[in-house]
Amino acid sequence: MSKLERLMNLTAALLSAERPLTARELRERVPGYPDEKASFRRAFERDKDDLREMGVPLVVEAVPGTDPIVDGYRIPKDEYYLRDPGLDPDELAALHLAARAVHFDSVSHAEALRKLGGVVDDPGEPGDLAALPNAPALASLFTALIEHRLVRFTYRGDERVVEPRRLDFQRGRWYLTGFDRLRDDERHFRLDRIEGEPATDDRDTAPPPVDSQATWRQPWELGDDHPVRARVLVDADQAGWVANELGEEVVAERRDDGSLVLEMGVSDEAAFRSFVLSFLDHGEVLDPPELRDMVVSWLRELSR
Amino acid sequence: MSAASRLSAGQRLERLLSIVPWVAARDGASIEEIARRFDYPQERLLSDLQDVVFMVGLYPFTPDQLIEVMVDDGKVWIRYAEYFERALRLSPDQALALVAAGQSLLAVPGAEADGPLARGLAKLARSLGLEGGAAIDVRLGAAPADIIDSLRTAESTNTQVEIDYYAFGRDERSRRVVDPLRLFVEGGQWYLFAYCHQAEDERVFRVDRVNAVNPTGTTFVPPDRRPVPTVYRPRDDDARVTLRLSPDAAWVPEHYPCESVERDGDDLVVELAVTAVPWLERLLLRLGPAATIEAASAGIPADLARIAATRLLERYDRGVSRK
Repeated sequence: MSKLERLMNLTAALLSAERPLTARELRERVPGYPDEKASFRRAFERDKDDLREMGVPLVVEAVPGTDPIVDGYRIPKDEYYLRDPGLDPDELAALHLAARAVHFDSVSHAEALRKLGGVVDDPGEPGDLAALPNAPALASLFTALIEHRLVRFTYRGDERVVEPRRLDFQRGRWYLTGFDRLRDDERHFRLDRIEGEPATDDRDTAPPPVDSQATWRQPWELGDDHPVRARVLVDADQAGWVANELGEEVVAERRDDGSLVLEMGVSDEAAFRSFVLSFLDHGEVLDPPELRDMVVSWLRELSR
Repeated sequence: MSAASRLSAGQRLERLLSIVPWVAARDGASIEEIARRFDYPQERLLSDLQDVVFMVGLYPFTPDQLIEVMVDDGKVWIRYAEYFERALRLSPDQALALVAAGQSLLAVPGAEADGPLARGLAKLARSLGLEGGAAIDVRLGAAPADIIDSLRTAESTNTQVEIDYYAFGRDERSRRVVDPLRLFVEGGQWYLFAYCHQAEDERVFRVDRVNAVNPTGTTFVPPDRRPVPTVYRPRDDDARVTLRLSPDAAWVPEHYPCESVERDGDDLVVELAVTAVPWLERLLLRLGPAATIEAASAGIPADLARIAATRLLERYDRGVSRK
């Protein structure tokens, strides 16, 4: 009797069980366990660990009608079975190609694809385009997002109770957008600033998420200075990458010499100053005069 | 065969739990195809189906309670495996990995908005419950679609190109001929790793700072082993600077690779490699009074911040650049 056969029989027994089965019942119903009680226990514990490590949702519940309570085991079908997306071969192949190009942490995409029907053909194109980093809170926030659960976590020292709406990866970081119940508003959170593991509770359901847009905020839009509109002139040689980096929507004007004028909202003056100084003498603040003066007096101080 | 020629009991179980439902849903799938799809050595697969799965069933293991496995002429039939009618659900990590990888490529310029990837992702998202407003978006990096597209083509066809490049560190725009070896993404940016004919060495370029790409009409022979690129590594002959940082500038060592970091009272004293003087000018202008140069290699004046600030002021002193 092989261990593989025993594990398959154990999975079959737990999946088919109408009620939680006790260890004693499983020893009877699953062939291949040692007779001796202590050896059985050890083997059974190892099997449970093996199944759980594979992601099998093996639950422990009180066997109904026992007093004192006796633990029983089962695998709830609705937690075990894949909700099959019914992928066509070309769709599965496209996902395979994507997963080969973009790795996520150390997760085996091959195992995930086997669950969906296996890898059809070797796509033959070069893989390895990018590696997305994981974040400690990511898996639990993702689960909360798809299961419509409320999450609680500490963010920069404050308690937050949030209805998750979306997860975005931008500029090399993961962000959560959600409705913050305590602040009664939609907020964005950087996952690397969430302290500890976010807590979710089965009983705490959130309403299905409403549409929310990914926002891509710049450092100078994040402060609490009085918001102003600023205009910045950038010389031709820098124009290309600036427009790429900030997006066409901030380009207010393109001049004949190839230079461009950016128009942007500023609510963090220090961050804005750093941005403008990164052009060295190939850029300057045009408006408003207060921001231009702020940069000039900063430079004046440094030139002494 | 792949690395799977020796599978552990756990790996065989993981694969069989996916294989059994797949085969049961099809009449007479070929052993050869199953082995390929599920990365299972063919002989091992045959013996596991006939000697293991065939013995699996429910108490009391009477013939009617056992899974039926039939193998004939290289084809397999599986029946009476209702409890294994579907594969095990994706773990949150696995689901996230697939969705994130798919969304990444979908957001890459040039992706088909209604192609197989988009359709597959939509189905996957629906099955996971990612519906309504809930969403995951991955933006690998910002760079113009046509530039990424031309560089990807050049990379896959080994075509030499001339790029119009703005080197941010040196604050200098130039045209150079390069052999694109690999396009990759790291930390939210697209990079091109290429052999640069001007530098006569391998270099890493930020794709968002490439203004134009023009094929030169020649192809190149790529090296046998394409080396793994790194975005930045200080070279021994790079200049060095030692900065004293007040607490306002304490973030510097977290953002730039420092050769050394020492604490001195409330201050930090750090040594940094300087690839180009304009890079250091930017850092000093940004930090202002929070940083002072303690020591520097030849070629870096101790009053670099003052020199740079004076140069910038000249521009401001000319008055607002109106059209």
